[in-house]
Amino acid sequence: MNRTSLSLLITALILIPAQAVFFNHLVLFNVAVPLAFIFVIITLPVTYSANRAMTIGFLLGLAVDALSNTPGVNTLCCTLLAFMRRPIFHLYVPTDNDLAEQRPSLRTMDTASFLKFALTMCVVYCALIFTVEAFQIFNFWQYLLRIVFSSIYTFVIIYALAGLSGSSSHEKRL
Amino acid sequence: MKELFDFISRHSKWFVLVIYLVLSSILLFNSDPYRHHLWLTSSSAVGGSIYSMGNSITSYFNLRETNDDLNRRNAELEAQVVNLREELNRMRLSQYTDTMPTPDSVQHFNFIVANVINNSIHHPHNYITIDKGTADGVVAELGVIDHSGVVGVVSVAGEHYSQVISLLNPNFRLSCKIRNTEHFGSLVWDGVDPTVALLEELPRHTRFVCGDTVVTSGFSAVFPAGIPVGTILDNAENHKENFFTLKVKLFADFTRLSNVQVVINNRRSQIMEVDSTRVGGDSNPANR
Repeated sequence: MNRTSLSLLITALILIPAQAVFFNHLVLFNVAVPLAFIFVIITLPVTYSANRAMTIGFLLGLAVDALSNTPGVNTLCCTLLAFMRRPIFHLYVPTDNDLAEQRPSLRTMDTASFLKFALTMCVVYCALIFTVEAFQIFNFWQYLLRIVFSSIYTFVIIYALAGLSGSSSHEKRL
Repeated sequence: MKELFDFISRHSKWFVLVIYLVLSSILLFNSDPYRHHLWLTSSSAVGGSIYSMGNSITSYFNLRETNDDLNRRNAELEAQVVNLREELNRMRLSQYTDTMPTPDSVQHFNFIVANVINNSIHHPHNYITIDKGTADGVVAELGVIDHSGVVGVVSVAGEHYSQVISLLNPNFRLSCKIRNTEHFGSLVWDGVDPTVALLEELPRHTRFVCGDTVVTSGFSAVFPAGIPVGTILDNAENHKENFFTLKVKLFADFTRLSNVQVVINNRRSQIMEVDSTRVGGDSNPANR
């Protein structure tokens, strides 16, 4: 297991229980839910194959579902987010040049690109998860408010986590 | 054959995506809460331990002991109230019969005090995790109440932790009546406000005023009759012509749930036996 994989595993092992015990209870006004664990998918190395990324997403979602009593909801959405991760990344970083085996972060990417990438991932994930939940109970305004405010809330937490995660300085900028 | 393998290899990501989506959908659309596997719920050993740790960090150690003691005493008093109410009913009935009823030395209901270690209110289907399991006498399909009213029903029981279907879960329907009337309906959460549920299928000729108390009907082996559930807020939109649908303000505060009591009906097996012989009976355990 190389350094990147180990770092990913540790991040997942911290964020999965933290999501269940801590973040799930930080709901604002019954509409905004911080989905901080998607930080793991956002920071997956870009060079990871789609199969590898989807497997990680599937297992991550399964673990969060098992702890949050939401069977299948996060599993489905994490798999789809992991699948869409690379096309979303290339919206803001167009070429494959210089893609080392490293994780997208504030240090390895230009700040604006990373923030745009992270915000898009947050919006996509929130749209996915609340659409899946809307199949169970649908209330249009609640659905819309949840997507908008949860995306913003999750983005703020992801930004804070990205700032906290001290990527080593020898990583190259993308 | 080689071309087939090449094709699969070239498009492997689509095959993997479909496999994972099918697996996720199986989990997602398996909507019966009683069919959840133990290891896929927060009542599993790992999930329960994580929540227990989190809970022990957030709760005050000294206050907890005092609180447990108070809850235990409250549970005993609750059991006494229920048993005395039954005794009173029996005495009333005996005035109208020419034979005395058989004395019943066995208590009808017992209560197990449990701590809530996980609770959600913002999902469409909410669940609660408690720190008591089969080792403490908790099994699936037992009722759960707190000091103010009905909370839910145990869906999955692990050895030391159990998952409870919250009243804030549309899969859970509770048979209720308006206190001091015999008209009953079905209480269900509509997924909007965690403090309000709907009392459906109440006959049109039912007399009530806003503020009347809604209690359990006792038409099942899960909850005793007369456990408070909430008060009538107002008449919601009528879904069916011959029935009222009322908004009910719930007594249980799901945002601050900390200690609950699991209700054990000592005559449950007898009632279940009678129910199982009923032809065309209600087979859905979530309808309580």
